[in-house]
Amino acid sequence: MTALYGFYVLIWPALTLGVLVVIIRAVMRDRRKAKEEHRDLV
Amino acid sequence: MNSESLYQFSTLTVILLLVAFYGGTYLMTLGIRKKNEDADAFMVSNHRVGFGMGAASMTATWIWAASFYAAATSGYTYGVSGPIHYGLWGALMILFIYPFGRRFRKLAPDAHTLGELIHARHGSSSQLILALSNVLGSVISLMVNFTAAGALVSVLSPLSFQAGVIIAGAGVLLYTLWSGFRASVMTDFAQLVALMAIAIVIIPAVFFAMGGPSELVAGLDNLSVEQASFFSMDAILNQGAPFFVAVLAYAIGNQTISQRLFAVNEAHIKPTFLTATVGYGAIVIGLGMIGLMALTLGVQPIDGDMNNLIPQMVSGYLPPLFIALFFVLVIGALSSTADSDLSALSAIMMADVYGKNIARGKADPKRMLLVGRLTMIVATVVGIVFASFSLDILVMLVFVGALWGAIVFPVIASCFWDRVTNQAFTTSVLVAMVLFCLARFELLPLSGASGLFFELLASIGGGVIIGLMVFGFLGRTAGFIAAALALVAMLVFATGFLRDYTVLLASLTAYGASTLVCVAMSLMSRQPAFDFDTIRERVGDYDTQAETPRAHGGEASPASASLATPR
Repeated sequence: MTALYGFYVLIWPALTLGVLVVIIRAVMRDRRKAKEEHRDLV
Repeated sequence: MNSESLYQFSTLTVILLLVAFYGGTYLMTLGIRKKNEDADAFMVSNHRVGFGMGAASMTATWIWAASFYAAATSGYTYGVSGPIHYGLWGALMILFIYPFGRRFRKLAPDAHTLGELIHARHGSSSQLILALSNVLGSVISLMVNFTAAGALVSVLSPLSFQAGVIIAGAGVLLYTLWSGFRASVMTDFAQLVALMAIAIVIIPAVFFAMGGPSELVAGLDNLSVEQASFFSMDAILNQGAPFFVAVLAYAIGNQTISQRLFAVNEAHIKPTFLTATVGYGAIVIGLGMIGLMALTLGVQPIDGDMNNLIPQMVSGYLPPLFIALFFVLVIGALSSTADSDLSALSAIMMADVYGKNIARGKADPKRMLLVGRLTMIVATVVGIVFASFSLDILVMLVFVGALWGAIVFPVIASCFWDRVTNQAFTTSVLVAMVLFCLARFELLPLSGASGLFFELLASIGGGVIIGLMVFGFLGRTAGFIAAALALVAMLVFATGFLRDYTVLLASLTAYGASTLVCVAMSLMSRQPAFDFDTIRERVGDYDTQAETPRAHGGEASPASASLATPR
């Protein structure tokens, strides 16, 4: 029960970390592509 | 309201934090600033915003200051399932719009607002109803975010509420005014990174500082049976159900979402919105867990104000550095939403009001930019004034919620069904609003025959919501089957019961009534079927039209021809 509740609370920051990594990697890729195509990122 | 029980920053520290935040954000926008911004980019960038920037911007925009406070309040009030019943439905608002968003984008790839699409489909009256609902929503959002800034500053420092409101308003306007939506998207990314990084640290930090999982489990004894249950009916009926009903309404009625739908690279709409759904849910539910922690510990909110829960927990268990991080977290969340609201409002005034109804196809991009920037200034002033005087916006909130519910079916049906007419759209929304008011304010007794009448409409509304959600992902047949099953279930279970939940009954009535009227009038209409291909021809870029009468890709000139033709 203790482990289950620990998981229930901590899964959300862990998921947040996962999404953060995905977004940062994607933005770096976007930035590289925009540079190659000589256009603005936004 | 200053509280002695919470950690207090000095005036200088808070001012330095705010200057660092807004100054840094402003400096960031200088990197993308152009001497001559173009009107289209000011509204939707280049229609090619990448997956990463798009997902970051959507997530940051959807998380506003109230998200944290309300999620924590939900955790504190409803216990174990509380944070889920706040965060999950908010996240689904992002998820459920993207199938429809792909259709919007396919119909009008160069649109800036959903109103432009509806204008091309129906004309001014339907478009202006949609634009009005968007404007009211964004003004309310601005006011709520500025209010949150004032409350935060006054709770954690000697500075006044008004000072916090004015600094936030001026700070957001400063970095959004010149480059508009481009600045909003660019800064959303940085704000989201900060926000996520802080949430990742703060949630476990508070959790382990209070004693970790064992302390949480021990504190479950303090909870009522309903609060301790993951399947609490109390939480479902009072928190989850009203939010579930609002899922499509918020998604359709909010220009900040449509703006991103039209700005993101068309091929990336799905991953962008899926990622934003997970990101929003994780952050908001996670912070809602702090409310659950407070409940298990038996913490009482200072002055009975639930908004003090998170600051209290952070203040009580963590060193001042974390309180400063929390301060930045809230300022980042409210600023990212406020700058999106300013961009949304400016796009509506530029495209829906000036472009379609004043210039009528002869829009001057430079004048459009002026309209957009003036809109931002006026909206900021209005937001600051409303927030400073703590005006009661409950009636406005109720009205906007109903309007959003009433337009869901007409907007979606207009994009898929070629028989919907302008008259059907407009009349259905107006009828739905009248019936909503009758139910919501109990102008008719919700008992006997009239109670049954509203429950029947609400049951249809429930069927419509489920049907549209399933239709978005699985297509027409599955949508019809789901709608029919939901309608039968509602008729069986809601009759004689729903009248006790006035808010839910009235919201569902708005959906049901607008659908009934819209469908009936469309079926009775003798107008020829609408050709959806004409929307693409009628909605185009403004700068392209101003520079050259040539269309994209050198084909026949759809955008410019239509913009030059008053309709």
